[in-house]
Amino acid sequence: MTVTMIKPVSDQPSDPSPATPSRLRTALPGIVRWTAAPVAALALFAILLVIQGTNPADAFSDMISSTFGRQQSIEQIFIRMTPLVLAALAVAVPARAGMTNVGGEGQIIVGAVAACGTYLALGDSMSGAIVMVTMIIASVIAGAAWAGIAGLMRLVTGVNEAISTLLLNFVALDLLLFLIYQPWRANPVGQPATRELSDAAKLPVISGTKVHVGIILAVVLVVVVHVVLRKTRWGFRIGVAGGNAEAARRAGFRVGALLLSALLIGGALAGLAGFVQFAGVEYKLRPSFGHQLGYTAFLACWLARHQPFPILVAAFVFAALGVAGDSLQIDSGVPSAAIYILTALILMAVLGFTTAKKKARI
Amino acid sequence: MSLVVDVMTGGVRGGTSIMYAALGETVSEKAGVINLGTEGSMLVGALAAYAACVETGNPWVGALAGAFAGGVLAFIHAYLVVRRGASQFASGLTLLFLALGLTALFGASYVGRQVHGFDTWNVPLLHDIPVIGEVFFEQDPLVYLSYVMVPLLWWGLTRTRVGLLVRTAGERSEALVVHGYSIEVWRAAAVTVGGMLAGVGGAHLSIAYANAWFENMISGRGFIAVALVIFAIWKPYRVMLGAWLFGMAIALSPALQARGYEINQFLLDAVPFVLTLVVLTVFGRKTLSGSPAELKRVFENAPPT
Repeated sequence: MTVTMIKPVSDQPSDPSPATPSRLRTALPGIVRWTAAPVAALALFAILLVIQGTNPADAFSDMISSTFGRQQSIEQIFIRMTPLVLAALAVAVPARAGMTNVGGEGQIIVGAVAACGTYLALGDSMSGAIVMVTMIIASVIAGAAWAGIAGLMRLVTGVNEAISTLLLNFVALDLLLFLIYQPWRANPVGQPATRELSDAAKLPVISGTKVHVGIILAVVLVVVVHVVLRKTRWGFRIGVAGGNAEAARRAGFRVGALLLSALLIGGALAGLAGFVQFAGVEYKLRPSFGHQLGYTAFLACWLARHQPFPILVAAFVFAALGVAGDSLQIDSGVPSAAIYILTALILMAVLGFTTAKKKARI
Repeated sequence: MSLVVDVMTGGVRGGTSIMYAALGETVSEKAGVINLGTEGSMLVGALAAYAACVETGNPWVGALAGAFAGGVLAFIHAYLVVRRGASQFASGLTLLFLALGLTALFGASYVGRQVHGFDTWNVPLLHDIPVIGEVFFEQDPLVYLSYVMVPLLWWGLTRTRVGLLVRTAGERSEALVVHGYSIEVWRAAAVTVGGMLAGVGGAHLSIAYANAWFENMISGRGFIAVALVIFAIWKPYRVMLGAWLFGMAIALSPALQARGYEINQFLLDAVPFVLTLVVLTVFGRKTLSGSPAELKRVFENAPPT
């Protein structure tokens, strides 16, 4: 189980007062708690549905059958989890260096904006492959640069990246809205949006399905991030810098450069998530582009305890919940955003009540 | 001239919900807990206030309901982070999602309902003062309450024993233990009170400012509040000035558009955030030194867990 993989945070002294944890909690093995938590979340959600006047049994059976019972919805899950995986990796890499990247939301938007700008500039004058490669490069650079602002602020003036990345999200959102309401707006009437990508610039789909190839990229990058964090010197060093900056400094590591590089790579991954969402799913920028994707990915990464492979599972779960939310709206007439309740309850249950680690005494 | 008055009036009106939320966040952060769920507390506060106001017809009952709902949500955050040792950032965002879901589920039937919220009430004599009267004294009761709330909170936090204990929880929590107080209780109390204030902020939005309820109506104001607290270096009176300033930045573009100026409002919408980033960059270290010590540790000790 993932629970056993948690390393104690080195700079927190182990709890000196062994406050006796409740006997129930110690007696229950981790696996039971890991199943009990989501079940409790489902039960609470059912109660809320009853209060609201919806029959939870019908809602759940409709939800499950239309989420997992149709090939179309299963494909939809894979499509939805792709940017989530990438954006969760964008949290995991800086987390290894002890940094909190809450800026996925903004980095995704900036990545997509860069990809869109590239497409609008190049148009269809060149072959699809060249346009696509340029779009990818642009989105990766843009995402990294957006995170880099926060990185430089941390290095130069000591501003914590959790604050700056959060603030940059809103700047990115306003930038997006500015662009699609005026300079990049395709049609002066109707919903503001940019011109749709030509077919050549869209991400190809895996044959026989509607799933675009981004999912393959995401899985490959999960493996790459795992290997880089575990097996390379850089991965080791950012881990040391994140665990104990002073020790890293004495070992001769350039801590500032390490932190900056971890955040830049995180931003690049989030920028790539923006590209994938843009060229694989939405094809144009709209006011709602990538809405809540970054925050959802942050929580997915938290659920996966910042480990690459569990991120795949967490992203799948959140993507399935998203699809379930849509079917909830169609089948039971409950607003699709109501599924956020279930998402939040599961998170609260798993993270509040399944930790092997005792509460961190500060 | 009237443009200036318009923008200032709009700034005070629009900034009030942010001010309440930011005051709440100040209390919470003073005790060493950052609450990104402020946005969520505002959301449930806005809906609870709206629903209570629709059902009872009394906006004051609405405001109380808003405070209650915001407080309950913040209490869950307090429980998760103080008692269960959950990451403060992740827990706050989780509660934002909980609030988005709850208000979507229970708010759907209130969309488009008629409500009679707070009326504007002119303060006798004071509202006759040119400019100032119009800007500050032709507002709704929750705005006037905020004028009282700021000095009250300042006094409470800096001049009372309760305030001292809250600040100790955020500065040197072990000192609380030494004197026989519970860190957990004082932090949880501060976070809950913070959430109640955020709930009133949400209530101001739904039953005084917009007089409407719609899904996700807070749309980032809670995050502006979190930014504002840092911008204000954890001082209530700076929170007040900052909230009006941010409110004016938001009020500027509609006022200009009404006068026929072509302006893209979104660049102006970014102003509060850019301003905060600039202040942080320029006064970075100074700002951080004003931060409660335990909060600094929260930032530094964040993941990996």
